[in-house]
Amino acid sequence: MKIDNSLPLEYGTEQNKLNILGFWIFLGAEVMLFATLFATYFTLEHRIGNGPAGAEIFELTPVLIETLLLLTSSFTIGLGVHAMRIGKKNAMMTFFAITLLLGLAFLGVEIYEFTHYVHVGAGLQVSAFTGVLLTTLGTHGAHVTVGLFWGLFIILQVKKHGLTPATANKSFIFSLYWHFLDVVWIFIFSFIYLKGMM
Amino acid sequence: MSELFPRKQVMGFVFSLVLTAAALTVYFLDVSFAIGMTILLVTAFIQAAVQLIGFMHAGESEDRAAIYMNIYYGVAIALVTIFGTLLILVWDM
Repeated sequence: MKIDNSLPLEYGTEQNKLNILGFWIFLGAEVMLFATLFATYFTLEHRIGNGPAGAEIFELTPVLIETLLLLTSSFTIGLGVHAMRIGKKNAMMTFFAITLLLGLAFLGVEIYEFTHYVHVGAGLQVSAFTGVLLTTLGTHGAHVTVGLFWGLFIILQVKKHGLTPATANKSFIFSLYWHFLDVVWIFIFSFIYLKGMM
Repeated sequence: MSELFPRKQVMGFVFSLVLTAAALTVYFLDVSFAIGMTILLVTAFIQAAVQLIGFMHAGESEDRAAIYMNIYYGVAIALVTIFGTLLILVWDM
């Protein structure tokens, strides 16, 4: 295996470069997944039937907490990748662990938010609006959940094998996924919550 | 310790927080729908760019042309899907 030492470890082999490019293409497909959900949301957001409208059920405090948690976790995983590039394995694992804890906290607030919606009569089957709202938020939340397990396995692999071209590549690709989840959340925050409460 | 907190990333984080605060003005100030949507579109897309370029290192490898083309293509198709849907089903044009 030819390793190019002029590049960061995660780009070191031809396979690694292709893995990263391939993951970007996957993220392009993910953009489409969320675009269709947003298109459906904008179409159905005023079809509330006998259920509540967005302005009646959205609350700024939990949404702001979720936003800050995810934004900070996106920052800490960026620091994790930086630590990885300067060869600081322990600092990198710490930053990845902090990222996952922030992600877990985000998920906790989102689960609270969902139970709150059901309590105030905005369950999945109440109206077209609540259906598409919870589907869109839930698809993002499911991605975060997958990311928590993925990130945990990444940390375990780095702990066991150290920083090799293979583990660095996997860690970097996971960081791309995690930043992407924050990008999606920025649009959910802006065009579902803030637009709904405006 | 400071080597673990590169300036570029810290600035990106602070900038993201500022953009989030700017987006919140549509909630706290009494703005019209058109102005509010303009603020949200600007802050959301800048913040997405900060993530993609600053944090995801989109432009640093030799595949940057392919990666940027992939991003542009994904965003273009997403915008066509969303605005095409709005045009037909919501704005009724």
